[in-house]
Amino acid sequence: MKPSLVINNPSKFSESVYTPSSELSQPGRLLANMWRDLLASRELAWRLMVRDISAHYRQSVFGFAWAFLPPIVMAAGFTLAGSAKVINIAQTPLPYAAYVMFSMILWQTFVEALNGPVSAVMNARQMLSRVNFPREAIVLGKLGEVGFNFGIKLVLIVAIFAWYQMPVTTAAFLAPVALLSLVLLGTFLGLLLAPLGVLYHDVTQGLTVLTGLWLFLTPIVYPVPQSGTFATIVKLNPVTPLLVTVRELATTGVVSQPGRFFVVTAITVVGLLLTWVVFRLAMPFAIERVSS
Amino acid sequence: MALETVNLEKISTVTASAAEADTLVSVEDVSKKFCRSLKRSMFYGLRDIGAELSGRSRHSDVLRSGEFWALNGLSFELQRGEALGLVGPNGAGKSTLLRLISGLIKPDTGTLRVRGRVAPLIALGAGFNPILTGRENIYVNMAILGLSRKEIDARFDEVVDFAEIGDALSAPVQTYSSGMAARLGFACAVLTDPDVLLVDEVLSVGDMKFRMKCLRHMGKLLERGTCFILVSHNPHAILTVCPRAIYISQGKVQAAGETASVLSHYEKDTLSTSYDDSNQPLRLPPKSPAESSGLDITSVCFRDEYGNNLGSPLSGKPASISVRCKTHKAMDGINLIVAISNLSLENERVLYLSSHYDGQPMSVVAGDVELQLDLPYCGLSAGLYSAKIVVTEQSVKTLDAVESFRFRVRSDTTAVQNLFYQPREWRVTSLSSDESN
Repeated sequence: MKPSLVINNPSKFSESVYTPSSELSQPGRLLANMWRDLLASRELAWRLMVRDISAHYRQSVFGFAWAFLPPIVMAAGFTLAGSAKVINIAQTPLPYAAYVMFSMILWQTFVEALNGPVSAVMNARQMLSRVNFPREAIVLGKLGEVGFNFGIKLVLIVAIFAWYQMPVTTAAFLAPVALLSLVLLGTFLGLLLAPLGVLYHDVTQGLTVLTGLWLFLTPIVYPVPQSGTFATIVKLNPVTPLLVTVRELATTGVVSQPGRFFVVTAITVVGLLLTWVVFRLAMPFAIERVSS
Repeated sequence: MALETVNLEKISTVTASAAEADTLVSVEDVSKKFCRSLKRSMFYGLRDIGAELSGRSRHSDVLRSGEFWALNGLSFELQRGEALGLVGPNGAGKSTLLRLISGLIKPDTGTLRVRGRVAPLIALGAGFNPILTGRENIYVNMAILGLSRKEIDARFDEVVDFAEIGDALSAPVQTYSSGMAARLGFACAVLTDPDVLLVDEVLSVGDMKFRMKCLRHMGKLLERGTCFILVSHNPHAILTVCPRAIYISQGKVQAAGETASVLSHYEKDTLSTSYDDSNQPLRLPPKSPAESSGLDITSVCFRDEYGNNLGSPLSGKPASISVRCKTHKAMDGINLIVAISNLSLENERVLYLSSHYDGQPMSVVAGDVELQLDLPYCGLSAGLYSAKIVVTEQSVKTLDAVESFRFRVRSDTTAVQNLFYQPREWRVTSLSSDESN
């Protein structure tokens, strides 16, 4: 005799309680929920990443070439301008074209991490306004995409090293750690803007303009300036120590700004954790204003 | 055999006690306010986020300028295995309520408690990417609804089967018909084995066969202990599935309880705004000789079997439609057409009666005449209807027409679950002693 009634196992029952009061009033519960959602979102994040990457490449003819083209075009342009003396660039520690290409790859990775949370939330608006899934998943999925894209660009980096016969030092093995810090800085700032981005379209537009300017305040097409107002601005730019450290670790092995690097990294990690809380608390209010 | 009986009893007592303890959804005095001005709504959003982050109260129980209560002090509970119908006019707050229960938005007053996995059928095909194949989208969609890879693997064949997409599984979803995509979305959501299922008007997708299949599956889920809330504009869908219903309007519960009575309350409210019996009989203004084509309809009404004026016919009882006309000359081969559509069911045509089709042309004399369509019993079920009435000559030349004669059919409550009135008798025939024949 097979029972026709199957009662679901009550142990998997988690009760969700929704009240008007701020989740901050119960910090213990908030932290527990954050941890639970982070764990729960890993698999979904993977799915979303696979979905976005395969959809992206399925609709593209040149596919991987798009990962290589921007740094190469940028390097070609600036090398041309430099050799024609249109612009005056000081001596870089690496062959100039290699310097620009490598720095551009790092910059692109940062920008992808910065735009990631905002575009993830924007693209998932419909989904967010209809299904209650761990919101962390879309951000993690985007982070995975950033990693995947960097993996492709790694091919170009290896090619640059081989072509210019640049030596690889033992310090290069620390470069990924510094790179992670760069990516987390982008995620931190992007995550802070994501709920705002749902409310105001100005955020996406502003980001595009901002990153265009920001590129030139970061030592990518020129070496780190040593004196003057511009040097101060570049120094105050939080991306500078991170990007420079990754570059130095990967190439010369001599780190010129270790202090700044650690300060910015510490701020990034603390900031990211706080922003995570902000993101969680702000999303319901942003979603409320998206039609389902 | 005895053992089986014991087992059965055991099971039923277990489920009974489990049901008592198992409140899956509890809504207590819940309110939600919205703002119609977009700019202001965005600004309030920012302020609310600010208050939320500072941990202060955001004084959500007071309306700010430009805000209104989309839901106001709603309370109800939903037990395991219960189905609740939710009816109300557009903008009554039905979707807001479903979004609150899914935890997508925060309430402004009150508390919501939800236990178990919620599958919102407001979200058909959430996260579908048109470029990807059906197979890939099943995995993504069910992952969004909270299933692990293993759980999806286990249900995959069932989903494909249920959605009836077969060969199209490896084709991009953008090549699917809208019905196929909706079926796939429905199958994904419904096969996640939810504890709470929120169904918002999605049963209107797909063909009749698929709709019946969905209803059957929902019945199965109910037996398994899923509870659900069904939002529909189709009262029959709610009647067949939900024993209990809530009628909300302007953010407040107007009626709650047994479905038939809630629905009749709802229908009374909606109909009273659009219809009342006092317009019967429908009188038409006289036509000038230039406009007239020889026969003018002057009034339309219902009559009972004694010829008295009848405001609204009663389902299952005799009624006749009387069409009074003024004729200028004697005519033969007059044809009366009565086409009735159901206003409660998306204007679906339910009857098309023509005296010509029935082979009963009528002859009229000059003067005032009354054309009558006698119905030995009114087969229409309760609801609001509109009749188009046309008088033609020789079935081709239209003499006059009434575009819409609106009327209401009443019913005694016992018939509320029937789509139409079935004349019937019950009896017993004894088969044991037929030798006497």
